[in-house]
Amino acid sequence: MTSERKFIVPIGPQHPALKEPGHFEFTVDGEIVTDASVRLGYVHRGIEKGAEERSYIQDLYLFERICGICSHVHATAFALGVERLAGVEAPLRAQAIRSLVAEMERIHSHMLWLGVAAHEGGFDTLFMYSWRDREIVMDLLEAFTGNRVNYSVNLLGGVKCDVNESLRDQILRGMDQLEKRIQHYLNVVTTDRTFLARTEGVGRMTREQADLFGAVGPTARASGVPRDVRVDAPYAYYSTVPVRLITDERGDLLARFVVRINELFEAIRVIREILDHLPEGELTARMPRRIPAGETISRVEAPRGELFYFVKSNGGEKPERVKVRTPSLCNWGSVMQVAVGHKLADMPMILAGIDPCFSCNDRMVQLKRKDSQQWMSWEDLRQYGIEYYKKVL
Amino acid sequence: MFKGLLTTLKEWAGKPVTIQYPEEKRPVRTRFKGRHVLKRYENGLEKCIGCSLCAAACPADAIFVEAAENTDEERYSPGERYARVYEINMLRCIFCGFCEDACPTEAIVLGDNYELSFTDRHQSIYTKEMLLEPVPEGGKPTPQQTPPGVYVRAVPAMQDPQD
Repeated sequence: MTSERKFIVPIGPQHPALKEPGHFEFTVDGEIVTDASVRLGYVHRGIEKGAEERSYIQDLYLFERICGICSHVHATAFALGVERLAGVEAPLRAQAIRSLVAEMERIHSHMLWLGVAAHEGGFDTLFMYSWRDREIVMDLLEAFTGNRVNYSVNLLGGVKCDVNESLRDQILRGMDQLEKRIQHYLNVVTTDRTFLARTEGVGRMTREQADLFGAVGPTARASGVPRDVRVDAPYAYYSTVPVRLITDERGDLLARFVVRINELFEAIRVIREILDHLPEGELTARMPRRIPAGETISRVEAPRGELFYFVKSNGGEKPERVKVRTPSLCNWGSVMQVAVGHKLADMPMILAGIDPCFSCNDRMVQLKRKDSQQWMSWEDLRQYGIEYYKKVL
Repeated sequence: MFKGLLTTLKEWAGKPVTIQYPEEKRPVRTRFKGRHVLKRYENGLEKCIGCSLCAAACPADAIFVEAAENTDEERYSPGERYARVYEINMLRCIFCGFCEDACPTEAIVLGDNYELSFTDRHQSIYTKEMLLEPVPEGGKPTPQQTPPGVYVRAVPAMQDPQD
């Protein structure tokens, strides 16, 4: 009898744990979760299809807007792919600036996560303080690139913004300030008793599980998987300024906090090193308008893990196909497994623990329909869109 | 607990980080990409020559330009043509600054205004009158009457722009 009757708690799509749409179904026995499933795709925007209609340079800006938090890495991944196809290499200074902005972005992303995760754990003081200090790096990014998010730093074949002396000093001062604050947060996260009760031993993922479910980024590194694209296959400036791999063996939520906060220190160290040895030279290399036919992949380490781009060119001004595989998507499988056996009340923390980014996930829409037709053709979808907006407007 | 209280006391003594927004505004940085501004020359002529390169470059298809011919009796900009209609849909615009890069005359610049709000979809379309900066001191409003043969060159000689 017990096996027949199941109680399913649906959460979402509005406001499940984060402020983004996603639908979760938790099968519970009492308050222990016995099964979990996720449905994504509420913010599908058809970016990959849109990219086929635009030129390479326009696509660069488009891909930057896949995610508002890790926008720079998207553009970097796309630019690296297209540059490889064209046989152009960005000048050293441009590569250094790419890495520099990527690390600043990592700081802002991880601090955002720290705040969100603390908020899910009911520790709103930490949430507010970490977001206040995140403003330091946000202001620096604004001074550097002109935008707080979606920096538009990258160009095909180089970068747009240069670092001058005053900006360099500004960044270094900001980093000193941040380092002190981050040290404080590390102390808080690892010593606060109430917070430890929410994180220690919760959502434990073993190394085998992490390998099996293909976890990436800090989530995998917190389970002891030594995987980081910046270390394994250095791109941009990471071959000159190597990054130390930060792992933790524990695999629980606490480990994810510790790994991400330690990555902040590492990012600060890398930023300082890049600024100290910024190579002189041009900012851009000349790119052809038409990209030679061919296909390539490029991988970069986004704040959330490995970001993968596939670019196929047919020799024209527009790409034939671009495939984006974002890190959040890889981590869902693992979190759904890890959730089993925990209390329902721990779910927000476990979900937030992988730093999920819903806008990153939505590369494809799968429709749950009563009839068997699961897929829509391009024409059907277009017609559906037209009809839908007729109704709305 | 005392440690926690110490943090509270420390913050209590410090300055608040929040800004009372509508009364008090946060300064923007030099490179900030805000609302577009269409620039003028010192004599009041518009820099925009209606070439539509910005519209072609725009990744979001937010810009619409319709050009018309200049004459010496009714001159809006140097060269042959000017933008009769210049519209930017602020709901589409992604503030990437590519229009700024594409512009051959530095006519369109992303300014420092970030207060873009409207209550109607139709209000999101900013017309040329809204985007064009006021006539500088000593300049005349467009259309101007100009002597023939002076403003024949559409693209001025420029220096390498910084910031």
